[in-house]
Formats: sequence, C-alpha cells, structure tokens
Amino acid sequence: MEYANILQDLLKRDEYLIVGKKVARTDALDKVLGRALFTADYVPKGTMVVKVVRSLQPHALIRKIDYKEALKIPGVIRVITASDIPGENQIGYALPDQPFLNDAKVHYVGDPLALVCASDEYSASEAVDAIKVEYNALPSHLTVDSALASDAIPIHDGGNIAVKTRIRKGDVAKGFKESTVEVEETYETPYQEHMYLETEAAYAIPEGSDKVTVIGTMQSPFLVREKVAKILGWSLSQVRIIQALTGGAFGKKDDMGPLVCAEAALAAVLVGKPAARIYDRDESVAYTPKRFPARFRYRSGADSEGKLKAIEVEITLECGAYANRSPFWLWRQTAHAAGPYYVPNAAIDGKAVYTNKVYGGSFRGFGDLAMQFAAESQMDRLAEKINIDPIEFRLKNILKTGLTTTCDQLLDHSVGIEECLRRVAEASNWSKYVPCKEGSRVRGLGVGCAYHGISTSRGTPDWSACSLILNQDGTFTYRTGICELGQGSPIGHAKIVSEIVGAPLDFIHVELPDTSSTPDAKPTHGSRGLMLGGTAAADAALKLRDNMLKVAAEMLECREDEVELKGGEAFERGTPSNKISFSELAEELYARGISPASYGFYASPKRYFDPETGLGVNYSVYTFAASVAEVEVDLETGETTVLKVWPAMDVGKAIDPLMIEGQIEGAVSQGIGFALMENLILEDGVVLNPFFKDYIIPSALDTPEIAKPILVEKPYKHSAFGAKGVGEPAIISIVPAIVNAIHNATGIRFNTLPITAERLYDAIRRSRQ
Amino acid sequence: MKVELTINRRKGIFEVEPNELLINLLREKIRLTGTKYGCGIGMCGACTVLLDGEPVLACLTLAVDADGGEVETIEGVAREGKLDDLQEAFLEEGAVQCGYCTPGFIMTAKALLNENPSPSEDEIRGYLKGNYCRCTGYVNIIKAVQRAAEKRKRIGKQEI
Repeated sequence: MEYANILQDLLKRDEYLIVGKKVARTDALDKVLGRALFTADYVPKGTMVVKVVRSLQPHALIRKIDYKEALKIPGVIRVITASDIPGENQIGYALPDQPFLNDAKVHYVGDPLALVCASDEYSASEAVDAIKVEYNALPSHLTVDSALASDAIPIHDGGNIAVKTRIRKGDVAKGFKESTVEVEETYETPYQEHMYLETEAAYAIPEGSDKVTVIGTMQSPFLVREKVAKILGWSLSQVRIIQALTGGAFGKKDDMGPLVCAEAALAAVLVGKPAARIYDRDESVAYTPKRFPARFRYRSGADSEGKLKAIEVEITLECGAYANRSPFWLWRQTAHAAGPYYVPNAAIDGKAVYTNKVYGGSFRGFGDLAMQFAAESQMDRLAEKINIDPIEFRLKNILKTGLTTTCDQLLDHSVGIEECLRRVAEASNWSKYVPCKEGSRVRGLGVGCAYHGISTSRGTPDWSACSLILNQDGTFTYRTGICELGQGSPIGHAKIVSEIVGAPLDFIHVELPDTSSTPDAKPTHGSRGLMLGGTAAADAALKLRDNMLKVAAEMLECREDEVELKGGEAFERGTPSNKISFSELAEELYARGISPASYGFYASPKRYFDPETGLGVNYSVYTFAASVAEVEVDLETGETTVLKVWPAMDVGKAIDPLMIEGQIEGAVSQGIGFALMENLILEDGVVLNPFFKDYIIPSALDTPEIAKPILVEKPYKHSAFGAKGVGEPAIISIVPAIVNAIHNATGIRFNTLPITAERLYDAIRRSRQ
Repeated sequence: MKVELTINRRKGIFEVEPNELLINLLREKIRLTGTKYGCGIGMCGACTVLLDGEPVLACLTLAVDADGGEVETIEGVAREGKLDDLQEAFLEEGAVQCGYCTPGFIMTAKALLNENPSPSEDEIRGYLKGNYCRCTGYVNIIKAVQRAAEKRKRIGKQEI
C-alpha cells in the first residue's frame, strides 16, 4: 500500500481534518503550567546520589584505583569499579572499544573509572575527590595527524583508524579530464556541544531482587534497555525503561541515554536502593560526546557549460577516544559528499581516527552538516571560476527526478530541491541583490543547499511499531517508542491517528515510552521519528478503523463504505443525523469481542546495497532544503550579524507547519552557533570552557529575521500522507548559506569554522596587507 | 533557620539551612518542580522566579535572603484555573518545544511586561537575553511575548 494516498484511497475525503493544519501542541499545556515532569522531577528528596570518578589523564595505563579514604567519608555508601560489574563491562555502540568503567587504561580526560554512591551531593563530591588513581602515563595523540603517524602508539587494539569508507562511481580520471575548471581545497570543522537545557539524568528504582525500573533522558528506550541489561547480566524483561519528558536531545541523548541510565541502574541494583544520577553542566560539556570534528580534502571539476564532471573527496573524521557512532557518521558524510547535485564520476574515501580527546557522537545533521559546508563552499568556488551566478550553477547540476545520487541511487519521485532553490532565490530577490557598504559595515548574500537521507543507511532494513487502543469511553491510548524531545514527533503521530480514526486530537492520549508496555519503534534519531514512527501509527489507525467501520455499519444499518468517522462520531455519510458516538461504538466493539486495539507495524521498502563500491539504494528517500542568508560584517571588529534567512524545505507533506517552522527556526539558531560562535577550547585534552558563560551559544539577541519558511511538498509514496523527516535537514543548508554570504560581503572565504569575530578580523587585516 | 515566605500567594514558615538555595527549597522541600535547574551558576535562566515582582535566579538566591518576601513560580502564574496571557500566547505561537526553558522564559517575560507593558521587539530580545533556549531559536518566544502584550493592551482598553 502507498501510505501517501490514504486520504483519497481509503478515507475518501477531499481534504484533511487535521493533518497540515496548525494546532497547539497537546503536551505544551503542562509545560507552560510547570507541571510537565522531567527526570529530575521524579526524584524524591534524600535519594541516593551517584557520581562518576573520571580520568584526569588523556592516555595512561591504570595502576591502581584506591578508594579506601573515600569510604570513610560520612554519607558515602559504596564505590563501584569495573570488577563489581555483574554483566559485561562494554558499552561501545558500533565497536567493542568502550568499557563502561575503565580498569586497564584511560583514553581521554574524563574517561569513567568508578561510581560513587552517597546519601547526598556533598559527600558524593568529596568522595570523588578523595579517590586516588595511580597511572603510568602514555604519550597522547591530541590531533588526527599525531594519531596517524607511522610510529603512533595505538589508542585501541587494532590501531588508530577505527573504520574506513569508500564510494567509486564512474571514472574520476576521465571526469577531471573533461573538466575545464577545477577547485581543490581542505576544510575543517570543529566540535560542537549540544548544550540542551536539561543535562543527562536518570532515576533507578530496584524492584525485588531481580528487577529494576529506570526513568531517564534518552532517545532510544530499547537501546537503553539492551545496554542496562547487558551491564547487569540480566535478561531484557528484568529491565524496565521509561523515557521521561526530555529537555532537548539533538542526538547526544541517544549516546548518553544508555550510559546515564546504566550508571543509575548499576548503583541502585548493587546497593539495593533507589539511585539518582544527574550530570552537572560542566561534566556534560567536558566529558560527553560532541559533534565529531572533521577534515575534508575536496577536489571538484566542471566543464565550460557549468556541468559538474567529477569529485574526489577525502574525509578524515576525528572520533576522539571511542568510535561510538563514527562508522555511521562517516558513512553519512561519504554518501552525501557531492551535495544535492548530479555528478557522474565520484571517488570518496573516509577514515575515522581515534585521538585522546573527548569522543564524538550523534548531533543533528549527523555528519552531513559539516559535509555540506565543504561541498557548498566548493560549489561557490566553482561558480566563481566559471564566472556564473552561484544559484544558476547549482540549478544546472541540481538533483531531479530521473537522476542518480553519488551512490547511484535513482531518484524516481519526491525530489523537491529545484523548487526549494528557485523559491528561496525569488523570495530573497537574489538576482537583484547588490552587496552594499555603509561605513565600516558590508553586507552580502549567500546560498546553501542540502539533502539528507531519511532511514538507516546502506540499505539496512528500517522499521517501526506502535500500539493503539480504543477505550470504552471513546478515547484512545497510543503508545510509541518514538520519544518526545521537544521536536513533537509523537504529537505528529497523534495527528495522523486523529485524521484516520476521525477522533478529535484531545481524544488521543500519547503515553510516555515504557519498554514494559510500548512496542519498539527503534530510535528517535536520523529524522525518522515522524516518517517511520508516524507510518506505523497510520498502520495501527487503519487497522483499528477497519474494526470500527465494520461495527458502526451494523449499528447504523448502512454499508461500511457509507460510514464516515469524524469528530469522535460515526455517521452515515448521506444521512449525518444517523450517528453514534465513539463511546457507544467502543462499547459495542468490546461487547462483540471485536478487537478494540491494534498493533501498527511499518517496514521501509527493501533496498539493495554493495558495500564494495558504496553503490546501491542507500536511503529510502531524501529531504531537501535550501536557504539564502544575508549577513552584515563589521570590517572594524570582524563581527558578523546574520540579518535575515530565507529557508525552504521539501518536507513531503507537512503534518504540522507550525512545528516544522519551529524546527527550522531552532536550526537557524544552532546553525549560526556552529558557523560563527561556538568554539570548544581544549588544552592538553582538557576542555577549558564547559559553561554557558564561556561556551557561547546564540541568545535571543542573535536570532535574525527569518522569512516564513517555504514548505515544498513532494510526497514520499511510502510514508503516512507522504511526510518526510525535517529535524536534521533544517540545519544543514543554513551553515553554507552564512559562510557563502560572508564571502559575498567581504571577498574572504573561510575553510575553517567557526568564523569568530577574531578570525574574521585577522583575515580582513591579512587581506589588506 | 526559619524563614517566612509567601509562595504563590500562600504564606508559610520553612526550616532551611543557612546555605540552602531557593531552588532547593522550592524543588525539594515544597515539590514545586516547575522551576528548572539548568546550570547551577546563574548562566542559563531556567530557574528564574519572581521575588517581590523582580526576576531572580533561584540557583543563586539563598532561601534566607528571600525571608519575608513574596515568591512567584511558574506554578503560580495561572490563576483560578485560568491561564495567564503569556501562557496562552506561548501555546498559540508554538513557543514551547522541549519545555525545559519555558518556565524561566515565562517568569522573565512576566517581569518584563510588568515593567514595560508595550516593549519593542528589541526590548524583548534584550530582556530575554539571559534565558537560553536551544530548541526554538527564540522566534516564537518573542512572538508570544508580543502577542501577550498586545492582548493585555486590547483588554485593558476594553475595560476602560
């Protein structure tokens, strides 16, 4: 079935009741009243506190962890080290390189060594300081070049390259021969900290002798369950994970959910008391995963007609201390290296390299953000060399239906990038724009395009599940493992259900994910929450609707296809006064023993993929985005102000335009942070600026005017109503638009981010010499 | 030590430690968990409450320093089951995403509108600059404050 056409084919309606309309979020009321419960709000006063003892060395062998003195501190209950772990001491996501508690070696400043359990914060902190660790220091690698040197000592067994990727499409040598212009540059992108307002938190409650419940911050309750069970050496059914409302996540809580929950669970189970584990702000910034830093050597060629002929890209990704998500991150960069353009010949090679620094992890844009900064800088440079307008050049090469991606995936529908680009050009009056100067201030306009595969990579099967129950009073209970993190995916699911079963939105109650009762929806990451999870919701709603229609037809004494479900009532389409309420209908379903519940399941269509060449049907579908930004640069101070952004996105189908606008506006702010401001400073592997005061993120003063986002709707035929994911694609085109605008204003092009006032000031001075 | 505080219009006497922070008194002792802990050192604005009508950071304010004062937290903003104009405007403008910063923003915005019933956009941005939000990009929060201010003006005029 093609889920995009449910409205016409199955619901037999000409227009949507709720999909595509702006509604007030059903979860927002408790949030404005101060009644919404986040993890820390569940923790009673006096709960045992858990803290982590961390390495102060970037690279060293552990000789001894001495905690005798710590145990003497009043209030200290227990210290837990690796030897106390009843199950497996291994928490690596992709590779088995990451001990939960280290007992042999430390790999970065902040590596966990032990857990302290105490009756209060003060005794716990005192105990952490009292624990003495003796090391044998090893030489540390604080740059990828140091880690790649031929005589480098390995950080992990197997050497300092964690993983490699490659794509070979067409004949690159031939492509460059056909090119009349060529550009080759090296780009570098930094760490970025997520800086969500709620730090990582978990509250674990042991039950009896062999069960534990953990309430926590996370993005994948079932991944959390798997890791907690593994560390405890228990079966999955002994561990119950509940996702509390989560105060921002942006990827990191997918990495940190298992860790923070396991820290609380292990302490609770070993001590036999409820345990609370809440990260301090500086701990969260200094020691937990960041956006992976990367370096791109990028060579591209185009012919005199302005057609891209070849790209050759070499990606060096810095993992930091552990591989974590780097194999998937690196692959995303490899697959998206060309940008949303048709390139007949491509050779892309990537490697992920360990260093002795805080490790990288998931973050909105997942590799693609940094990649498109490089790709889109190349596009502007090529356009300049050919002497053609940057948007005109992009349009000559833009992906369209019938063309193939870098991975040779044929795009047969849902390709809206050309329309996005044309419409932002028009909205921003691109062709008439003249960079201007007033006093020391210059202004310029820049463009950025982006695309992002929505689904698992490399043809790996992707699926999602949920459940829906019609209660006897006519309300519905909906359960999904897709988490509410601020983005509102579960509310999108509720709108999809509401549309299909014809119930008002407030009839549909979305439960928090709870692994003991919620079907596994797979993780809330990769912008898949609405597209995959929401299509499972559609499946559940369609199945339940069938049962509702069958019984309603008999009750209304009409044919099934004459029954309309709307506003919480079932009625005969031709005679609306012949009606029954959903509560009457529900009671009848129960009385007749016809299932009032359904299990929704959605699996993405089968894909194929060749790991040798990197070619195949890589992703189910792509979301496309384009942005134009206008910036003002003060040549005296080097300060950049983003004045206005015109964003556009091909979203497939907007389930909720207000929520999409919210995603885009938040992404503009985070993108400005990444492009201009956010700068994590490390010295000898130590993060020097772990607070809001010194790791500067955009404030209310830094958000520019944002034009009403242009939503292009090219439905994806295999998702509910045609919707595609938006959370990550929203940020990707913003960064290159800003960087290209700075070049347009100043003539200076940056290959390294962030473009802080200091760096720009220095560059301006150099350009004048 | 004993302190006498009026919290959300209810007077009470509380036993506190000399070094006890207002945020801990509110969250742990009184279980008013709407006030959020974001950084603990007064840099993010998530713990903003009103003390005698002025916005203060509950993570930097000692409970004893609030003695005799009137504290208003997010839980006290709606009156008799009716949402405040700001709360309503936050819902209508989509100013809430994850919601963790929301209580702090509403309290700060409330103080702003008390001081300045018709702030310009720049004044709103300036007043809210100490409250961080990582989800919304501030756009809809600013719109919500404008909307609440306009609504109050409209209703005020009708009443005259």
